[in-house]
Amino acid sequence: MDGRPSCKAIRHLLPIALLLLAGCGGEDGEGGAVRLEAWHHAGREAERRTIREQVARFNAQHEGEIRIELTLIPEGSYNAQVQAAALAGELPDLLELDGPYLYQYVWQGSLRPVGPFLPEDTRADILPSIREQGTFRGRLYSVGAFDSALGLYARRDRLKEIGARIPEGPGEAWSVKEFEQVLGLLAEADPDGAVLDLHLNYEGEWFPYAFAPVLWSAGGGLIARPDHDRARGVLDSPESVAAMERLQGWIEAGYVDPNLDDAAFTEGRVALSWGGHWNYPRYRAAVGEDLVVLPLPDFGRGTRTAQGSWNWGIARACPDPEAAGEFLAFLLEDEEVLAMTRANGAVPGTRPALERSPLYGPDGPLRLLAEQLQGGQAVPRPRTPAYPVISTIFQDAFADIRHGMDVREVLERAAAEIDADLEANEGYRFPEEPRRR
Amino acid sequence: MPLRNRWKSFIDRETPAAWLLAAPALLGLLAFVALPFLLALALSFTDLRMGSPLPVEWAGLEQYARILSDPGFLHALRNNAVFAAVVVPLQTALALGLALLLDRPLRGMVVFRTLFFLPVVFPMSLVAVVWILIYAPGTDGLMNAALATLTLGAWEPVDFLHDPRWALPAIMLLSIWQGVGFQMVILLAALQGVPQTLHEAARLDGAGPVRRFWHVTLPQLRNPLIFVALVTAILAFRLFDQVQIMTQGGPLDATTTVM
Repeated sequence: MDGRPSCKAIRHLLPIALLLLAGCGGEDGEGGAVRLEAWHHAGREAERRTIREQVARFNAQHEGEIRIELTLIPEGSYNAQVQAAALAGELPDLLELDGPYLYQYVWQGSLRPVGPFLPEDTRADILPSIREQGTFRGRLYSVGAFDSALGLYARRDRLKEIGARIPEGPGEAWSVKEFEQVLGLLAEADPDGAVLDLHLNYEGEWFPYAFAPVLWSAGGGLIARPDHDRARGVLDSPESVAAMERLQGWIEAGYVDPNLDDAAFTEGRVALSWGGHWNYPRYRAAVGEDLVVLPLPDFGRGTRTAQGSWNWGIARACPDPEAAGEFLAFLLEDEEVLAMTRANGAVPGTRPALERSPLYGPDGPLRLLAEQLQGGQAVPRPRTPAYPVISTIFQDAFADIRHGMDVREVLERAAAEIDADLEANEGYRFPEEPRRR
Repeated sequence: MPLRNRWKSFIDRETPAAWLLAAPALLGLLAFVALPFLLALALSFTDLRMGSPLPVEWAGLEQYARILSDPGFLHALRNNAVFAAVVVPLQTALALGLALLLDRPLRGMVVFRTLFFLPVVFPMSLVAVVWILIYAPGTDGLMNAALATLTLGAWEPVDFLHDPRWALPAIMLLSIWQGVGFQMVILLAALQGVPQTLHEAARLDGAGPVRRFWHVTLPQLRNPLIFVALVTAILAFRLFDQVQIMTQGGPLDATTTVM
């Protein structure tokens, strides 16, 4: 006996326990219509209202054929709920998911590719950044109606005062040297010398989202690409260490406002704010015409930025993936994409909708963010089932770096921790793949 | 019938009923305490990973070897040991000192007792959040400002919770402040149980206050002191809440604990 029976017993008991927690769903069709369960993150009020209206519109269009039943799940515990449902075999047919979690869900065998169930033109219209994030091992597993974007907000008048050059597009990004000169000049004119907001008041996923681009732009990264088989030599490479040392230098020089009240930029305490598309409405209201969006500084290999937001996937167990695909195609129609992005302010996820967007369209104030998503400057977070672990470890490392610990030591330790996790999970090989030992 | 046999048959008659009555509780105990414990023990010899599609395999002692060679875990053990070694004697001594101070028939003593016991009433999570503000970095931080005033400005402001040298002592101080009231109350109760006759006898024999403390009070408090030290030690090894809220184990593992 090698103990296997007891393991089996556990694997039977666990799902039962989780099933009790997750609650059970039933199957009862209504007048012969295909009934599909869909999970969506609860989001803000406007977002909730929009998805409910969209589902109602779709159900009305497909009366008697397809019926989508929507469940809204709180954002904070979304992933935990999905994990519990997956273990219990109770996943919904259609599942919204946060972009970087996709690969873990695919690895766990919860999702099926969506490509075959979407019309050719719909697939062609999707933004390259969303397609890239949704593609894993050569197949498209998820699509999103919108994407997120990251940039550097600035007050134009402050930059003019010090005579700084204002970059017009991603190709004209400040080099990191130029950026530091700008910081220095701005600081001289500032009463407390703190002129930059890095949103250090945010928590969790913000840190890999906002600062992995710094590593990529310097030629480093979180983990080796494309194999995702080690972090050593990448996260602790000289390029990564040098880039994070510069960033730490900004904090130590006093250029960075801790922004505890989340009002550093709106109150005019700082001239520059490292922020996401979601900051725009408040910033615009506070600063008006003077607000300008710039690419992040270039650490040597060209500016890089982040992307990635909520996506839709189809569960492997979904009985009618064609019907599910129809719903996704509906959500990706121009009008629907525009309705959703009007509600949440995100970047429209298809090119035709993007062109018609007042914010991100050709003359829109956030055009630069849209260009970065199409021009290859936006990089998806590592496309590996290990991402949740990488993210947590990087968050801890960043906390140590911002509080002045030795950057090389911190990153070497983080890289070793990630590698230990990769080893413990057999490199996140798929069950059908041979063991690498 | 001899008495002993009659007693035995009484037990025999009652045994089935006793088992029947205890059964629900015993079943619950088995299902929710014994079984999970045994399963957890068995699982520790496998490579079970939550959410992994890879098959679970027998791993033998590998997990134990891994954790015992993990510098993070060893660090955590050391932090726990240091924490216990400092906090247990210090907190017990402080509690005894407070108890002695408060064991006097003075007017308004109840107010003082309440004040010293107050921190125990608040949940640790609340206390930790308040102390984050106290430990705020820079000259504006309450603790930094207080130390600067006390040292007439010689104190260099410290970022207590993010400096590897200061983070653990900072957490120790908060823990002592929060926990000392509870032990003080226990020792106070024990102090009031020390017979006055012993003190009077010692006084008649010419013993001063110091000798009476060492030879009367302390021996009388032996068992309560052992109890207090034991409970403090257990709590010291269960250290978690304040660390999780204040430092999340950082900086550089300076405050990680086993929990």
